[in-house]
Amino acid sequence: MENTTPSSNPLDRLIDLLCLTPLGASALILLALLPLIPPFNQEYLIRWLISAAFIAALSIAFDFTAGYISIVNFGFSALMGLGGYTSAILAERIGLTPWIGMLMGALAAAFLGFVIGIVTLRLRGIFAACLAWFFGLALMGLATKLVWLTRGPLGLRTERLFDSSSNLSFYYLVLVMMVVIYVITRRATRTKIGLAFKAIGQNMEAARTSGINPVFYRVVNFTISCALAGWLGGFYAHFYGILTPDVMHTSKTVEVLAVAYIGGRGSLWGGAAIAFPFIFVMELVRSSLSNLPGLNLVIYGLLLMAVMIYYPGGFAQFFDTYIRQTRSRFLGYLVNGAGSRFGSISGQPTAPVAR
Amino acid sequence: MWKIEPKRIVGWMKSAAGLSILLSTAVAVAATLDRGPYIIVNTVVTGGMLALVAMGLAMVFGVMNIPMFAHGEYFMIGTLVAYYVFTPINAYIGTHPDSVLSALGPLITIVAAVGVGALAGVASEVLVFRQLRKRSRENWVMNSFLLTVGLSVVLINGHQLFFGADFKGVVRFWGGAPLSVMDVFISRDRVAAFLLAGVVVLAFWLFISYTRTGRAIRAVSQDETGALMVGIGLNGILMLTMALSCALAAVAGASLLFMYPSYPSVGLEPLYMAWFVVILAGLGNVLGAVVGAFIVSLLKVLTTEYIGAGWDFVVPSVLIIVILVFKPSGLFGSEVRGILDK
Repeated sequence: MENTTPSSNPLDRLIDLLCLTPLGASALILLALLPLIPPFNQEYLIRWLISAAFIAALSIAFDFTAGYISIVNFGFSALMGLGGYTSAILAERIGLTPWIGMLMGALAAAFLGFVIGIVTLRLRGIFAACLAWFFGLALMGLATKLVWLTRGPLGLRTERLFDSSSNLSFYYLVLVMMVVIYVITRRATRTKIGLAFKAIGQNMEAARTSGINPVFYRVVNFTISCALAGWLGGFYAHFYGILTPDVMHTSKTVEVLAVAYIGGRGSLWGGAAIAFPFIFVMELVRSSLSNLPGLNLVIYGLLLMAVMIYYPGGFAQFFDTYIRQTRSRFLGYLVNGAGSRFGSISGQPTAPVAR
Repeated sequence: MWKIEPKRIVGWMKSAAGLSILLSTAVAVAATLDRGPYIIVNTVVTGGMLALVAMGLAMVFGVMNIPMFAHGEYFMIGTLVAYYVFTPINAYIGTHPDSVLSALGPLITIVAAVGVGALAGVASEVLVFRQLRKRSRENWVMNSFLLTVGLSVVLINGHQLFFGADFKGVVRFWGGAPLSVMDVFISRDRVAAFLLAGVVVLAFWLFISYTRTGRAIRAVSQDETGALMVGIGLNGILMLTMALSCALAAVAGASLLFMYPSYPSVGLEPLYMAWFVVILAGLGNVLGAVVGAFIVSLLKVLTTEYIGAGWDFVVPSVLIIVILVFKPSGLFGSEVRGILDK
């Protein structure tokens, strides 16, 4: 696998450690500086940035399952909501600090994800998707009806992570979470286990013949993805300060799913890259054409359909075929990194995992 | 011709299908004795309509291999058409109480819904699914599933965009005193809805079993390549399947307008329920879906009755998950085996 020589430049090594390319790293730095630059330093734009980074992080975790083992986790937002509720309830009932609460949320989501995985992942793709969906529906029903615990549709109030009027610190937190999630999932896919994930996603029979136990790897993958979703759910709870069962609704899953697929399945970074411009355009359409409610979602659905029909690889495939193959040395360094280790391992640039 | 063979009957009773049917019948009877006959009436009325939606869903999966997430939206289209057709008719009836329309109005409404539903089905097949089919059949089940997700988002929000998000409903289709069956008063609309469901299911079954076209549809669902080889026009059959199944959902929507007023996401609940049915009965099994619809509606009615409203997503979905853990191919198995391996 390691067909490259490690670069001696410490900066390159750091970038490689984060599984980024120089271009990705500079994009992250730009994102970090963005809320300090004038048009973006207004409070509502920072809120948009937060929701974009949040969706981006979710789509990475989602793509870890959907792109690698080819299971659409249709109960994804329910697991995210479970993490949020766990964290919020722990904070309210026993006064646990949200920082630990978020991790407990991740743990709860991981546990449930493990159970769902054990139950559903013996089945083929669409059955597993449906069962995960039913689990999600049941969970949402529970959140609505267990009023003594969750206060149901009235909404569960909880403390916010930072006690400041500005949302800037939330933005940096979610950005860091996004990078952490990216690094975890990318690192996981670079290991042997990750290779097994890819093999299962591409051709299950062939993978089984080579001695890979699909159920084991699927459950591992599913559990990791759910844990990450639960962690993000904890952030959601302590950012908005209020949770309603609506966070578990299927439409929230669809939102993440659309971003992940438009970004490019099996790429991990594609959804994150597309989420920022995408959420901004959506919010712009929604706020500037408020006399046409629903227009932004119509565009969103049409875009998802168009991508699925005409360009199933999404943005990542476009990037891999047209920009990664550049002849310019500088651009090549920028998009592939020193030693192009990134390009060689993260799937074949010309024929990405996505089909 | 029909000989009663005790061995076969006992064998059927021991199979999952027989066990579940007998068990749910017994539960229905017990609940009826406990709480009163309205339980069975509710089950049958909801079950009939659910059967229509679920049958369409099962057929689209069986024939076209599309796990349809947008099926509830055709239900929504049905309610919408019914509202816009029936409201002027109703106004006319209000001023001319003795006109022929007061008897024919609801029928015209439902026929209109069937037409528009079928057209919507054809449009989505031609504009969406055929486009994908032309380009790639690899990983078809998952890709088409994502397409239907997009379609559902578009249709729900298109409704909101063009018709607004308010409730658009009618009070009743048929006036007159409620009928009394087994000491329960049932509104004429419910009776009509159930009768309609029965007629449509029967007609559909006859069509699928005994006509040439129906046979062609079944052939495609069993083996697409084989069907092509014996000269079945695939595109036409797929279009017809889509049109039929969307029309079924639209009929259900139109005739339940008095219960479900039309609003953008009205289709979600029937969609969830229909998916419960289809997964429970076995994906792609059309007749199993009819039986499954009654089982699921019984579960729903019992949950509402004994545990409380609002639990009707929790309990059925948990039960279905448990059943599937033990019997992953669904209660009635699937006649179209191997479909998931394509």
